[in-house]
Amino acid sequence: MGRTIGEVSRNFSALGVLAAALLAAAPEAEAVPSFARQTGMACEACHTVYPELTHFGRVFKANGYILSNVKQVRDVTGKKEELLSLAQTVPLSIMAQVSYTQMKTSVPDLSAAGAPGVAQNGTAGFPQQLSLFYAGKIAPNFGAFFQLTYANDSGTIGIDNTDLRFADTTLLSNNSPLTYGISLNNNPTVQDLWNTTPAWGFPFAASNAVVSPLAGTAIDGAFAQDVAGLTGYLFWNESLYAEVGAYRSAKQGVTSELTGGAGPLDGSASNVMSGLAPYWRVAYEYNWAQHSIEAGLYGAEFRLYPGGAPGAEAPLTGPLNRFNDVAEDVQYQYVGDEHQVTVAGTHIHESMTLDASFASGGSANPKNNLSTTRVWATYYYRRKIGGTVGYFSTTGSADTALYPATVSLAGGNPGVVVSANGSPDTKGWIAEVNYLPWLNVKISAQYTAYNKFNGAGSNYDGLGRNASDNNTWYLLLWFAY
Amino acid sequence: MRNSEMKVDHPVTAGLVKTVLILLGATVLGSAGAAARAEEPDAATKMHAQKVAVTVCGTCHGPQGNSTQPKFPRLAGQNANYLAAQLKAFRSQSRGDPDAIGYMWGMAAELDDDTIAALAAYYAAQKPESGPHADQAAITRGREIYDHGITAEGVPACSSCHGADAHGTQDYPRLAGQHEQYVLKQLGSFQSNMRNVAIMHGVALNLRSPEMQSVAAYLQSQP
Repeated sequence: MGRTIGEVSRNFSALGVLAAALLAAAPEAEAVPSFARQTGMACEACHTVYPELTHFGRVFKANGYILSNVKQVRDVTGKKEELLSLAQTVPLSIMAQVSYTQMKTSVPDLSAAGAPGVAQNGTAGFPQQLSLFYAGKIAPNFGAFFQLTYANDSGTIGIDNTDLRFADTTLLSNNSPLTYGISLNNNPTVQDLWNTTPAWGFPFAASNAVVSPLAGTAIDGAFAQDVAGLTGYLFWNESLYAEVGAYRSAKQGVTSELTGGAGPLDGSASNVMSGLAPYWRVAYEYNWAQHSIEAGLYGAEFRLYPGGAPGAEAPLTGPLNRFNDVAEDVQYQYVGDEHQVTVAGTHIHESMTLDASFASGGSANPKNNLSTTRVWATYYYRRKIGGTVGYFSTTGSADTALYPATVSLAGGNPGVVVSANGSPDTKGWIAEVNYLPWLNVKISAQYTAYNKFNGAGSNYDGLGRNASDNNTWYLLLWFAY
Repeated sequence: MRNSEMKVDHPVTAGLVKTVLILLGATVLGSAGAAARAEEPDAATKMHAQKVAVTVCGTCHGPQGNSTQPKFPRLAGQNANYLAAQLKAFRSQSRGDPDAIGYMWGMAAELDDDTIAALAAYYAAQKPESGPHADQAAITRGREIYDHGITAEGVPACSSCHGADAHGTQDYPRLAGQHEQYVLKQLGSFQSNMRNVAIMHGVALNLRSPEMQSVAAYLQSQP
């Protein structure tokens, strides 16, 4: 479960939004055996290896998770209209991630101000994450993917990725299927059908006990579980996809100072959306023999009041920060019985117009830009053993206020999470190997190597820390039932 | 001769005896199947089945049953009785090849007999497309086996049940245009008895891998 933009902004004073993105985008990763119970089909129908979807999996999702091949409790009218259709098997699943993280070089120990020391290196996550899902049909054309997660960083249970769908399919006069639907969800791109977009992209799992880069685009997980979105989509002939919708802030754990309730949101909340944030998506998929290829575009525009935090309130009026994100994505899949290959990637470009932050000194420039590129290639043999190699890069305009050179923690500046030159640039590689003794149990070893971190390869924080000091080994046991 | 259980000394004689037995069995099964022919579904069931076929089955098998993925068999023009029998075998979990277990046991679990009959009728009425032509030498060898069998090894002519044009009969499946990979997997499953059909087990038992490939290549190329 990702940290919210609000939590992060409390650490990073004025703006926080941009700094938040990658921190907030703590990986979300799910595999849901309740779908298998509901459809009676093996994992391989919908997944190459979880959580990556096959064509059938994408169609299943577009149709609202409702395909059900189990006995139903029913009620009908005299005209055979269905009033109730409840699966006799409740579509519940659990998922656990147990992990161990080892950084190349540990980080300063802030517990004793003034006394030099380092934090213990080697973090066990037991569990890193434990989730409960309701994933499946609710009513004849209404399905849900609903996740509650306990995470060891917050130590609490909270709402995680959620996607409620109404969907139906009609036959056009030429006998081609047209699927149409509505998604009510809490994370832009969580409703998407391809594993190229941020919510379900690679890495599918990553450590939450590492140093994360400062910068990330807004659509790249910055609003995960912090918004409510309503989108409508069309999926024609299982190939051409179009979706439009809008998001609105839906803060978790925020209390109005006046009402004592969950709202109305006021200046004690941070990064509150002004009005609605539009979201759009188009994609085309073509399938032949064992091959599938997809290309698409997606984007959103977020206009935010910086707001504040309890004790540092800032009214929800005046200038806004605007983040306009436009992205491309591509995917190739080969899905055979013996071999599974995926090559995928996305490129997100963000234009920022920071009227609010510039006015308050939260950014040094009135406008900035940021681009993130991720590409990866995955191979599996018989869905049993495989691996992924990926490259990631975030680059953008330098801004010494947005990506500050110092941070005040425990009365001093420990560096590590800063950028000495105000640059957001971070680049590196991820490689992982996975072994699945059974299709719902995955054992992974992942290594992340940084060529550049927060603007530089060496001494990026001005206190002698190099990008490679943040290189990380991550061992993971990940299963779902 | 690889079948050590055969007690007849002369390989050709052994092959002939086996072929006759298989054909006899096939005839009996064929007439039994003909007696249990599906009834014509009503209009509403037909419409429902068409929608299910295009929007559910079609994701793998193609909207008109001409799948492009070789993992999933082409169903267009398939014989209705055969299709209905297979759907019922999936439903009762008596057809046990790996993809039947992984995919079709679930998909067919809650189908009623009327829907099965209507789905079978839908696919039987679709126009089949022939598959791509592979290696011509394999096709030629495959045609030879298909038309005449391999007498010395007790492999009967496929055409004796599936028809000279491989369009099958009411009870034996159409094979023309079927994906080479799918046919190969089925022959393998018959051979190993994962798909437990006595007649086809007998046929496939003595087929070597290159012979299976030739037959499959030939069938895929047929209109």
